[in-house]
Amino acid sequence: MKTLTNLAQIKLPNPKPATPYSIKLHDRECTFRDLKHLLGAADISKAGDRKADLAAEDEVMREAARAMLSGLTLQHLFDHPLTTHQGVMDSVMHVNYDINHTVFAEIATFTLGELKDHLLRASGERIRLIGTALTGVMVAALTKLLDIHELVYLAKKLKKGAAAKARTVVGLPGTLSSRLQPNHPTDSLSGITMLMYTGLSTGSGDAIFGLNPAIDTVANISATLHHLDKIRRDTGAPTQICVLSHIKTQLACLEDGAPVEIMFQSLAGTERTLTDEFDVTVELLDHAFLTMQAQGALGKTAENFMYFETGQGSELTYGKHEGIDMATTEALCYGLARRYSPFMVNNVTGFIGPETHLDNHEMIYSCLQDHFMGKMLGLPMGMAPCYTLHSQITLEGQQMATELLTAAGANFFMDVYLGADRMLAYFDTSGHDDQTLREIYDLKPAPEFLAWAISRGIFEQDEHGQVRRGVNWGNPRIFCHSDSEFQRLQESVPAIYGFENAGPRPSNRVSRTMKSNQAIGREAIYANLRPAEISGIALRELHTAAATKIEHLSDPELGSRLAEEALKQLNPEPFTVQILISDGLSAEAIHHNIPDLLPVLLDGLAGHNISAGQPILAPYGRVKLSESVGDALQPSVVITLIGERPGGDALASRSMSAYLAYRLPNHGYEYTVISNIYMGGLPPIEGGSVIVEKVRAILHHQAAGNRLESLMQVDVIV
Amino acid sequence: MMELTIPNQRVKLLGLDFGSTTSSALVAEASVTSNCITGRMEFGEPKIVFKSTSVFTPFIQQHIDEVAIAELIRQWLTQSGLDSIFAGGSIITGLAAQSRNAAAITKLVRELVGETVIATAQDPCLESWLAFMGSCSDLSRYHGDALILNLDIGGGTTNLALGKQGDVLQTGCYFIGARHFQFVPGGYQLIVASEYGLALLREFGIDKGAGETLSAEECEQIMNYYCQALEAIVQGESKFFATTLGKKHEQVAFSLAPDSPPPKITFSGGVGELIYQHMASEGLPNTTYYGDFGIDLARAIIASPILSRDLRDYVPENRGRATVYGLTLHSTEISGTTLFLPKPECLPLRDVPIVSKLPVTATFEQWLVALTLAMHREQGACVQIIGELGGLNDIRVLGQRIAQSLKQCAYPAHQPLVILVEANIGKVLGNYATDWTKSGLNVLVIDEIPIRDAHFVNIGRVHQQIVPISFFGLH
Repeated sequence: MKTLTNLAQIKLPNPKPATPYSIKLHDRECTFRDLKHLLGAADISKAGDRKADLAAEDEVMREAARAMLSGLTLQHLFDHPLTTHQGVMDSVMHVNYDINHTVFAEIATFTLGELKDHLLRASGERIRLIGTALTGVMVAALTKLLDIHELVYLAKKLKKGAAAKARTVVGLPGTLSSRLQPNHPTDSLSGITMLMYTGLSTGSGDAIFGLNPAIDTVANISATLHHLDKIRRDTGAPTQICVLSHIKTQLACLEDGAPVEIMFQSLAGTERTLTDEFDVTVELLDHAFLTMQAQGALGKTAENFMYFETGQGSELTYGKHEGIDMATTEALCYGLARRYSPFMVNNVTGFIGPETHLDNHEMIYSCLQDHFMGKMLGLPMGMAPCYTLHSQITLEGQQMATELLTAAGANFFMDVYLGADRMLAYFDTSGHDDQTLREIYDLKPAPEFLAWAISRGIFEQDEHGQVRRGVNWGNPRIFCHSDSEFQRLQESVPAIYGFENAGPRPSNRVSRTMKSNQAIGREAIYANLRPAEISGIALRELHTAAATKIEHLSDPELGSRLAEEALKQLNPEPFTVQILISDGLSAEAIHHNIPDLLPVLLDGLAGHNISAGQPILAPYGRVKLSESVGDALQPSVVITLIGERPGGDALASRSMSAYLAYRLPNHGYEYTVISNIYMGGLPPIEGGSVIVEKVRAILHHQAAGNRLESLMQVDVIV
Repeated sequence: MMELTIPNQRVKLLGLDFGSTTSSALVAEASVTSNCITGRMEFGEPKIVFKSTSVFTPFIQQHIDEVAIAELIRQWLTQSGLDSIFAGGSIITGLAAQSRNAAAITKLVRELVGETVIATAQDPCLESWLAFMGSCSDLSRYHGDALILNLDIGGGTTNLALGKQGDVLQTGCYFIGARHFQFVPGGYQLIVASEYGLALLREFGIDKGAGETLSAEECEQIMNYYCQALEAIVQGESKFFATTLGKKHEQVAFSLAPDSPPPKITFSGGVGELIYQHMASEGLPNTTYYGDFGIDLARAIIASPILSRDLRDYVPENRGRATVYGLTLHSTEISGTTLFLPKPECLPLRDVPIVSKLPVTATFEQWLVALTLAMHREQGACVQIIGELGGLNDIRVLGQRIAQSLKQCAYPAHQPLVILVEANIGKVLGNYATDWTKSGLNVLVIDEIPIRDAHFVNIGRVHQQIVPISFFGLH
């Protein structure tokens, strides 16, 4: 049975003051402020590192950094831990030093350049052994020296030995597994069932049934855990289940008797991010591990029972990266994950958006780095190369990443039905993708699952052991008792476009529908506001601090305030309400809704004698822009009408929200939001009327948000 | 930040079905939730939490045994542990629906179950509709292109409903059922025949009465007649019912359009249950096990190539309990969440007559006529608006037209006027119709309600920003 190293017994170096690193490359003298900057500069240029001022300014500086790193010994890296801004080692860094000192003693004098060459000449077993002697920072530094082929080649060598065992074994050589991710916008059990059946029919789910819940309450997580468990039992699929809620919620569910087979948690590579943003400490993780070891639903069957998710950039997004670059903080996550010998680690680089990874190149490279770094640190790495529509990452880039990661031996990918996550509004791999990759690279699902899938006609195997798609591949109807049940289930899931397949791919008709929806969504984000289409009502146009669309998408803070010259034009006005219109993340939402909504809103305000200033149009804005406008004009309520981030549904990409910001008498704002204003949700004409009623309620109760709701004693206000 | 959302609470729905032969109860639990695809409010994730056994409807001769019925209802309520009922329905059909019986049951239901459940009797088209919704609603959406004709064959009647994609297009009702002849179980010794049964005996010159046994040939004659009648209906041959005997059996005529493609045929009701039981190779009970022609009729239908053509490919749900499933899960509509309701305390409104169905383009004069009719119903009246509105200008014009008409006829301020609309425009239309509530009138605009061809509507209390609506008195 695995035991956790006592934290006090981990041998730590004494942090030293930061010192600069200099090197002359050809005739150029290159200096890096400290180890953090050296590590940042040695990576390819990525949006997050550029924003943090860590990326190399040019190719020469990058190569200089790599040359500099190549000459540093592992002992040097051991002796120079990366610290917080206060100069101390945080708990994540601390755990990273839990290494195999016997092996480290053998390699401590290797420079990183020598280590790289050594690894490229070594066997998989040797590489794996060396990995046990490295901290996350050492692996990150090594990774900066590797090109694409090397990242793939070394990771591929690490496939053997990267398997883990819960109820079943996942990650064996010759396999490519998948996490079936049946996310549903409302956690509808029917919807989850439909997505499960769909995934199972394509041979997905051998790694795990893993649901990201929409509602993180003990009651809901328990209910969904029981539901996944029921589906697993009913179908007989040999796999494991998990609902990816907060670790505290899962512990409470376990206490209540829910089938917590695998314990999930998102990790971060700095303590401040881990504790402040994810509400997790190393002590809590230890507690969860020990609780699962003693009481987990799989009992002693499971050798591994923790599941972690990571992805480059979360520390940076929260502004808590301690001056460390994205790849290195990611490696620090892995050094933390290693402590718990997890069953799965899943990397979701690309999920956050353009503030961390702007385009395909950045995302693909980061994914290959992360996969290698995780495997090098002994983790059973699965990958979820993914994207949101407001980045410039595309389906094609994501598919290139999956091809390369399969070549590199990734343990598993996601199965998000048709690639569009219906709850998280992002794009990931699909069951079709997973099967296509299995066929291209001659891979199979995990052995026990494969046997089950053959018994259900999902796969068939010939006398030579060759596995092919079976007659039932891609037909979720096989899991339903009747046509009526199948119909009910289908009607509970948005964006189902039919089940016709062409080989391992969706039929062209289905693919075209998906892609056209994405195209509409993408266009909605990248389109600029066209004031002439917005309304016949005169608007005053003001600018935010974001000068361009790209700035607006890459840096949310810029759209949260008016530009200085705009602010100079504004003085307090004597109106109760100020209407503010901005594109946010969908200009098309504004074009499609404002012409109907604004006249009703103005009619209603006038009908109730509520005075309103001339509506403002501010391109490239965010919700917090309300406060910039509110501070300047000083109305009681700012009504901000703003486009929502599009997902995979064409109609919904025209969805707008109304944020009603009540300006508190002393300081600050309270918000009430009315969302989903579009023709498929709350129609804009009706939306205008609903906003009027909410504004009246806010003014009447002098409150918004939770405080307003608690003050309102009736369900319907007129 | 507080979002305008509806808490996902579970509610209880009740269905009570009192038929010629059997009665049963069903309780379902569902959430009141917005459909993530259509955005419409609906009962989400319905789950049956209580299903009574089907019991013979207690009669004393031709009359309902009120004491036994009351006991039955009490028993169901106890067994189901029902603490509160959000909505539901009770239907009294066939022989049980004879006026004296119906009144007694209706009274008992209201006394014992309460005001949230509608109780209707002698509403054959509603029964047909419910049986279709309870058995074929999902199936017809699965086979989206197919017309499905469901024959709900019970003790007294065959209730027909033709539907497509979950909507019922047409209904009808015939006095063809299992229990027009009651026998001593195990043979064909007659106990009693209904007036329709007696008419058949006369037609075929069978001079037999209580205590006498029908011969195999005589039984076959009767079954042949029933089968031919059903075949005529499903093939649109209305002349079959032009005879005196035919006319007697026709309660609400059902005629397929001449150019209609042949519908897919499904069955529900007690006879439907037996048919699919046989198709699933589960066998059938012994001769006249239930003391009627149910088993014989099932066999005759299976033997008919016309009637049995779709038995394998189109298999409905709930069969014998289709009506009670329909009642429980489909008899109540849920409004949208943005309805216009200035005086919520006026709810619930019961038995509200639908005085007019007006197109969206109705003139000021048409509205005046409708509102004048409505004014005579002090307890409240309803106007349904039919058709789609183009956009903001249409809604403004319509709202202002309603406002002018209300003013012109001096509509009493306290009197509820219910306006039902299909589109999600309740709040905005109500606001324009009342000059942003300044008129002070008790106009309720309830939106996202599908048009139903009914005479009456019940509107329940507000629950999580919605109201439940039930129609009855279907055409």
